[in-house]
Amino acid sequence: MRAIWFVSQIALFGLIASRMMSIPNYFQYYVAGLSVMTLYSAAIFIGFDIYEEAEHGVFEYLLSLPVSRKQLVLGRSIGGGLRAFIYVGPLIALSLYVIGAINPLSFLVALFALFLFSFGVSGMSITIAVIIKSSDRFDILMGVLDALIVRLSTAMYPLAVVQAANPLYGGLASFNPVTYAADLFRWGTGIETMTLSNPLWPLLGIIAFFAFFTFVGVIIYDRRIEGGGWQ
Amino acid sequence: MPPIIQIQNLTKKFGNLAAVDHLDLEIEEGEILGLLGPNGAGKTTAILMLATVIKPTEGTALVGGFDIRKSPDKVRGLLGIAFQEPKMLWVATPWDVVNWHAKVCGLSTEERKQRVKQVLETLDMWEPRHKNVHALSGGMRKRVEMAKVLIQRPKIAIVDEPTTQIDIVGKHKIWNMLLELRDEGSTIILATNELYEADRLSDRVCIMHRGKLLVCDTPKTLKDSILGGDIIDIQLEKDASPTVVEELKSFKEVVDIMQVKPTNLRLYLNRVEEVVPQIMNLLMKKNVPINSIRMSEPSLDDVFAHYTGLTIEEAQKDEG
Repeated sequence: MRAIWFVSQIALFGLIASRMMSIPNYFQYYVAGLSVMTLYSAAIFIGFDIYEEAEHGVFEYLLSLPVSRKQLVLGRSIGGGLRAFIYVGPLIALSLYVIGAINPLSFLVALFALFLFSFGVSGMSITIAVIIKSSDRFDILMGVLDALIVRLSTAMYPLAVVQAANPLYGGLASFNPVTYAADLFRWGTGIETMTLSNPLWPLLGIIAFFAFFTFVGVIIYDRRIEGGGWQ
Repeated sequence: MPPIIQIQNLTKKFGNLAAVDHLDLEIEEGEILGLLGPNGAGKTTAILMLATVIKPTEGTALVGGFDIRKSPDKVRGLLGIAFQEPKMLWVATPWDVVNWHAKVCGLSTEERKQRVKQVLETLDMWEPRHKNVHALSGGMRKRVEMAKVLIQRPKIAIVDEPTTQIDIVGKHKIWNMLLELRDEGSTIILATNELYEADRLSDRVCIMHRGKLLVCDTPKTLKDSILGGDIIDIQLEKDASPTVVEELKSFKEVVDIMQVKPTNLRLYLNRVEEVVPQIMNLLMKKNVPINSIRMSEPSLDDVFAHYTGLTIEEAQKDEG
């Protein structure tokens, strides 16, 4: 279903919207952003797994295993990120085909950044899930977060356009992991007009995002996971 | 040798409810300790605290010398736990579940290959090893849960109601495997509400009720501790009135009376041969005909009733 949605977004929305835009190569720009958005929504799913595990009591089992909480959260976060990456991998390959030219070295760096982004989103999802402890509330919050974090990023439109619309929006979009991931992916895929002059900052931003949610995830998971109260 | 588990003032509260209330207990290395009590007695909560799955509200426990609060990772390294409700990774087969568990517990590929087969065969789970766990019956899932502990052979094994939903042949297999595990050197905590299971397997039995530990000793000592070495169950044709019960209590040989049902009385007494004719006379005189009289020796059920005032079935309903 995700693949059908992805292809229809490219073949319908991307193609039609690009004819309305004065931005050069908007179609390729959109396809790259769409890949990052899809990766984001796939990585979020680990949070729903947490609720399923709580419902089936798998939590208690995982917590009783002879592994540290740190290993457990890292395993869940990396596992969730990797799974999202594997699910979205074919779609990324499709988007690469649509976008065209690639600089292999830049692309590897961008791919690495997408890996970290996926793990970071996964860690964020786990952290929020164990804080909220209610799948309904989590579902709603993720919907709201998705609307804000994706819309206030450069996934669908360049930063200059966001800034022109509202400087506050521009400021928020500048410090957004989706922006970092989308910009790095475009840089890696060599979409010329959108090439970053310096990919170091978004790369550092993604690393910080991943490290923060993994670290916070370990602490929150350990503090919040026990004692029931899961809905 | 110091006890392998020392539980000190262990308490867990959920809101105002004390699920485990100031539990103090020592467990010796190599023993099977039966934790007996109805559902809701606090057995599972106590076990989850020992396994460092949930944190105590008060008190602590030393497991193998490690504090469950300060060194939970070390504690988990010593433990293996089979949960009351089978905990599966809901996308796998019995073979996957057991093999994955063995891998996480550090068994080498060679060991796993050999032991997964051995344990699944012993539990009659080799045939359905590649079935999805969704497709298994409750009893089969319970066997997979038990297989995790049996393959792990931990220093301390915790089994929570290990034979619920399992047929009698399967029960005997699991009991034998637990005894073998104990003979190989593991210490076993057996939480159960099955009296026969606790009596048959446990070196010591601890009775828990409403979060409190009421008593802990060998099954024989517990049974011997009941005043009145004999028990008679009397089934009457009609309800026993409070007056009749009071008059029966007035016999000096009668230690205690439990009215199990309005028409069923259980009497704990001494010198049964002498007193039974007198009891029969009294009941006849009061126009309460007797349907049957059965004599027996105390069981753990009687021990439980002695300490709680309830049969385990009644306590179960009470908690429910």
